[in-house]
This record gives sequence, structure tokens and C-alpha cells, in this order.
Amino acid sequence: MTTSIPSAETLLSFEQEINAIRDETLSKVGQADADYIRRVIRFQRGLDLSSRLVIVLGFIHPLFWVAGVLMLALAKILDNMEIGHNVMHGQYDWMNDPHINSRNFEWDIVGDGDSWKRYHNHEHHTYTNIIGKDRDYGYGLLRLSDDIPWRKKNLWQFFTYLNLSLLFQWGVAYHELAAERIFFGKRRKESHLPISRSELKSAFFSKIGKQVFKDYIFWPLLCFPVFWSVLLGNLCANLIRNLWTSTIIFCGHFTEDAQTFSEEECKNETRGQWYYRQILGSSNLEGARWFHILTGHLSCQIEHHLFPDIPARHYPAMAQKVEQVCKTHGIPYNTGSFAHQYLTVVKRVLRYSFPDKAGQEPLTNH
Amino acid sequence: MTTMTDPALSPRSSGPAPLAAATGVGLRRWLASSLTQHDHFSAYFEPLIQLFLPHWSTAGWRARVLEVRTELEDVYSLVLRPAKGWAGFQAGQYVEISAEQDGRRVSRIFSISSSPAYFARTGLIELTIRVQDQGRITPWLRQHFAGGGLVTLSAAQGDFIASEGSAPLLLIAGGSGITPFRSLLQQLQRQGSARPVQLLYFARHAQHFLFREEFDRLLLDMPQFSLILLNNEDHGFISAEHIREYCPDFSARDIMICGPTPMIQAARAVLSELAVDPAQIRFEYFGAAPIDMQRANASDTLVAFKRSAINADVAAEPAQTLLDVAEQAGLKPVSGCRIGVCHQCICKKESGVVFNTKTGTYSDTGSEDIQLCISVAASDLILDL
Ligand SMILES: Cc1cc2nc3c(=O)[nH]c(=O)nc-3n(C[C@H](O)[C@H](O)[C@H](O)COP(=O)(O)OP(=O)(O)OC[C@H]3O[C@@H](n4cnc5c(N)ncnc54)[C@H](O)[C@@H]3O)c2cc1C
Ligand code: FES
Ligand SMILES: [Zn+2]
Repeated sequence: MTTSIPSAETLLSFEQEINAIRDETLSKVGQADADYIRRVIRFQRGLDLSSRLVIVLGFIHPLFWVAGVLMLALAKILDNMEIGHNVMHGQYDWMNDPHINSRNFEWDIVGDGDSWKRYHNHEHHTYTNIIGKDRDYGYGLLRLSDDIPWRKKNLWQFFTYLNLSLLFQWGVAYHELAAERIFFGKRRKESHLPISRSELKSAFFSKIGKQVFKDYIFWPLLCFPVFWSVLLGNLCANLIRNLWTSTIIFCGHFTEDAQTFSEEECKNETRGQWYYRQILGSSNLEGARWFHILTGHLSCQIEHHLFPDIPARHYPAMAQKVEQVCKTHGIPYNTGSFAHQYLTVVKRVLRYSFPDKAGQEPLTNH
Repeated sequence: MTTMTDPALSPRSSGPAPLAAATGVGLRRWLASSLTQHDHFSAYFEPLIQLFLPHWSTAGWRARVLEVRTELEDVYSLVLRPAKGWAGFQAGQYVEISAEQDGRRVSRIFSISSSPAYFARTGLIELTIRVQDQGRITPWLRQHFAGGGLVTLSAAQGDFIASEGSAPLLLIAGGSGITPFRSLLQQLQRQGSARPVQLLYFARHAQHFLFREEFDRLLLDMPQFSLILLNNEDHGFISAEHIREYCPDFSARDIMICGPTPMIQAARAVLSELAVDPAQIRFEYFGAAPIDMQRANASDTLVAFKRSAINADVAAEPAQTLLDVAEQAGLKPVSGCRIGVCHQCICKKESGVVFNTKTGTYSDTGSEDIQLCISVAASDLILDL
């Protein structure tokens, strides 16, 4: 699905107004942002540690176990989304802090941070929703656009989607290796990776080893009498985090109207065209402040794609201005409630389960 | 662009650590990184520790600013009390202090201007700082810490210390380069040393000499100490005449020079003209040490890649990103998008100013991370690459 690109003049004035929003926000970045991210990190660390204790208290009453699992899931969600994703985008590099920066930060997830930075910051953010370039697009497992040929396996892709959601962290970890065909299939001829294939493989296994050790060996063993209950609790917390992050990310790029692009359309594009593509390829979720924080501000996916290195807490305020600028330039701006956007994702996954157009018919046809 | 390698810049290798200790460290690191995603447990706990000890940092020691004392109109001293555990220093060494300026950690290097003996007695150290015109940090420190506050202090560093033994000394100071010598002189006085010391002190004007009263007292107290004040207005810049006239036995002395880079280079040239053995001379640049390479054009900048011991001469036109410069010098820094989006090409700049082509701004002068693919050299640079 592609749209006709607005005139060059429209795109130029659009570019200038988006730049103005960026510059105005950048001039405000400072102490409040540093204080904010430190506060979130402090809260996250406290939650991470105390949740381990509360899970153990499950032997007193199962409700402790449930509370502990939810706390641990929340700690992981904050670590991955509001802290990790944003810090690894370099949003806080200006702080010059030895730990809160894109070079050193590592998150609480099986995917190793350096590897994630390579494909996400680079490929996904540069080639957003260009079929064939952006491997995040459907993660190679789902067909979410007519531009991808239909295959039989797409018939049950809704279940593939549910599985992908539950195992999301593993999918994300495996992503870069899959593309390099490290384990299966032909070797890619021209790899542009800055590290060797064996380094890539060892980074992959080393991070997995550490995460498995922490959640499924160290903490359960430390609380030996309740070994199984701790192990199960950690597993549940990881699954909850997986479901949440994958749902938010799918809502950001695969709602019904989110557009895809061909490689030709994006050759030699201007900054304005780039902005335009980022906006058409993303969709926003509306919600309260706590909701934005829980999504790591990926609820403002459009602003995240326009301004990936501005501290994300500014996105909701920027979103209002961006939406206004889009309106005056006749550029569609996709935003809606969480429930509404999620429903459209489900519809999209179902619709493209079937060969071209046919999917628009009611499901009972098959 | 031309490049050359400089053997003097090659990385120092530390001696082999005992195997058992090495594996112990390796295991602790592995545990910390699996349980906390940080290389050290302390890094994970830092935000929590800061709840009780504000400004506590894994990157150094806390130090409390007790006083900001005016020395001259544009010079002040910070009186600091380093936290327990700070290991002390030798006269002539410097520290890096870091503070948070509008959310941003900034750091600068200053020589300690008070003596180790004073630290042993009071637990205090002093830094004496000249306010730089349009400087980002030196005017701000003075205002911001007027009412006290906390900074982060590095361990004392540097090898600008007096030679062992009691050979007579010739000290040559330019401007604020007097600070390490104040430390040394106070220390000698405390120790009751009989070591002969001649200080030649250069400054712009007669009113720009620091610590006049203190030095007058030292002169009374230490008969083997003598002081010559030379202001540039009346005496011009350092010359062989100055040395011959005020310190005729210079060739029998160990010589220490401290001050701005041009002054040190002039002093070294003068001493080599006087055929002084370079092994007798120690010096400390109050800024980045100059990169040892000829420029093809006066407008070129020099970039030193410290880890690989390669220097590059970069022409001002056409402007080149540091990523290109590094690659042409034969290095292979990690990169990805090459347009400033992916943050893979981040590298530590140790000193110098870069222009950021994405934001259109100039960087700070101190050490910080930069993105190579969108940075252009705006002055000579030292990169950790
Ligand atoms: C070992 C060592 C010991 C030192 N000890 C002392 C000491 O005891 N006392 C002391 O006062 N200093 C000392 N210094 C110097 C000190 O570290 C800094 O140079 C000084 O503090 C910088 O001040 P600032 O941050 O305010 O200025 P900065 O912001 O760093 O600017 C420094 C100067 O550079 C100029 N400048 C800034 N940006 C640019 C640009 N883009 N292009 C050209 N010029 C520019 C400014 O006008 C200013 O004059 C020492 C340095 C070293 C290396
Ligand atoms: S190479 Fe991507 S930011 Fe520099
Ligand atoms: Zn992102």
C-alpha cells in the first residue's frame, strides 16, 4: 500500500516546521531530564530488588507471589522500555554519565544490547517500513502487507503472532542472527556487520546464558526451599513483559492504516520526505501519563521516529504540535486509543492471512 | 590528509596479573553482568546509594566544596574536603573534578595548589583556578559553588613531581602554571627541606602574580628559596637572557616548567638553545599536550588517535567527518548508518573541540563521547581510538 507523495513545496515547509519543533524542544533539554531518568532508574532498581523478595513470600500467601510477579514484570518493562530503549537510542548521551549512555547500557532481556542497536537503531529507524530493508517489518514471520507474497503458512499467522508475542524477547534476540543466516540457509554474501559472525554468535549465547542463569538458576537456587515457585514466578514475569512490549510495538507500526514503502520511493529522499515516511509508517496511542511511561513513550511512536534521540518524556507535548503541523499540510496522522489501535492490528494480521484482497471478505469464506 | 605513527603514543601494557586474581575478577564481572547487566555491582547500586549519599559516583570520590576564595579578580581557589578513601597525592599532581551543570556531567583538570602535608593535617586540598574568557566551566564553578556543594574527584594523577634527592631545582611558571609549584614549595617548607629552589615566575602584568604574600613569608622562612617575578609588559617573553641572568647555575639544576602550551614550548626551545640535557627537564602543559607532527597548512587540524598511536593532518577544506578521517588513516571504527542515527560510532574524545554537523553546535573542550560520523574537527583533537 503506497500513497502519492505531497509536492516538494509542501514537504519543504513541513520539514521546516518539524525542525522548529525539534529545536524548540532541544533547547529545553537539561536538568529536569537528568533528574527524571535518574528517578525512573532508582524506582526500577528498588522494584527489581524488592520484587524478588515478595515472590519468595509466596510461601506465606499466594497473593504475595502474584504481587511479586507483577512487580518484577513492571521492573522489566520499565528497564526495557522507558529506560533501555530510550537510553540505547542515545537520548541521554548528552548527560555524559558513565552508565546512562547508549554505549554502555545493557538491558534485562535476552537480546544483547549491541546487537539490537545495530539492527534497530540503524536498519529499522533508517529504513522504517521499507519492504525488504526493514527486517522489523513483520519480523519475517508475518505477512502484514500486499507487497509480501502470500504463502500457505500465513493462513495460521494469527497463532504465529500470539506465539511471537509470548516469546518476543527470544524473537528479538534471534533477529540479527536470522538475517545473517548464522544457523540455517545460505550465508549472506555481503555482510556489512562491523563484527565477525563468530563474535555475533558468541554475543548471542553469552547474553542468553547470563539471563537464564539469573532468572532460572541463581534466584531460584538462592531461595532454595521455594525453588519452583521462584522459577515459575520469573518465567511469568518474563512472559508478561514479552506480551506487553510486543503488543505496544505492533500497535506502533502495524495498525490498519500504517503504510509501507518500496526501496525506489526512498532513494535520495530529503529530510522532509524522510519525516513524511516516518509519520506514515507509525501510529500513536493515546493515554494517561503512566501509560506513556509504561510504553517507554512508544505510545508516541510517530514522535519517536521523528526525533529518536530527544528524551522521550517530551514526546506527548511534541505530539500535539506535530499533529497540528500534519493537519495544516494535509498529511495523515494516525492516532487513537489503545483498544482501538490494538483491534486494528488484530484485523490486519487476520486480513493478510489470506491471499490478496480475499482477506477483505468475512472470515467464514475459508 | 596525511598520517604518521608515533611510537611515543603507543599504549602502555600493564604487567601480567597473577592468574588466580585475574579469574577472580573475571568471575565477579560475569556475576555482576548476569545479575545486574552492569560490569560492576556498584554501578547497578549507584542510583540507590545516591539516595543516601547525593552525588556518590562509581567514577570517583565525593568531595565537598567548603569555600570559594578569591585570589585575584579573575582567579579563585576551591577548598575541598575529599571523602574518606581518597588516597592523597604528591606535590605537583592534578585531579579531574566533575560536577553536574544543567543535568550534564562536566569535568576539568586542575593541579592541586596546596601541599600533601596540609592534606595530612586538615583533610583539605585546594585548587586554584583562572577564569577563562568565555570558558564554559571556570566562571560557572565559581558562582555555582559559592555556597558550597558536592563535586566528584578523581584519584590524583600525573608525574610532574620533583626529582628524588636534593639536587637544586629551577622552577619556571607561566600564569596559572604556578599552582603545582605552590604545592611543592609548601611541602618543602613543611618538611624543613634545605633543597635550593629558584622560581622564575612569568605573568602578563605586575598585578597578575598569585600568592604574593605567601611567597614573601616563604622567602623569610626558607633562605635557600629565591623568587624572580617577571611580567611580560616590562620583561617580554621568556628568553635565554632571563635564564642566564637570574639562574646562572641552571645547568646544575633539575628544571620544572608549567604553564600554557606556547610558553612551555618557548621555554623548552630556550633550554635546548642553552644546551640543557632534556633528561633534566620536566614540564606540564595546562591544556592538551601538542600533537607532535608538522602541519601541511597553518589552517589544518591535527587528530591524534591515541590507542592506535596514529596522528592525522586534516585539511580545513573540504570538511571531513572524523569517521572518514579515521578510516583513511587505516582504522576501522565501528559504524552503521553514518548519518548520526544509530549511535554505533560513538568514541571518547579526550580533548579538543568538534563541530556537530547534525545539531550545528560546537562541543565542549573536555573529555566526552562524540559520534564520529557527524563530527568535524574544530581544533586539534585527541581521540580514544
Ligand atoms: C594537567 C593540567 C593541569 C591544569 N591545572 C590548572 C590549574 O591549576 N588552574 C587552572 O586555572 N587551570 C588549569 N588547567 C587548565 C584547565 O584544565 C582548563 O583549561 C580550564 O579550566 C578551562 O576553563 P573553562 O572550562 O572555563 O574553559 P573552556 O570552556 O574549556 O574554554 C577554554 C578556552 O578555550 C576557548 N575556547 C572554547 N571553545 C573554543 C573553540 N571552539 N575554539 C577556540 N577556542 C575555544 C575559550 O574561549 C576559553 O578561553 C590545567 C590543565 C591541565 C591539562
Ligand atoms: S554511524 Fe550511525 S550514528 Fe554514526
Ligand atoms: Zn526505536
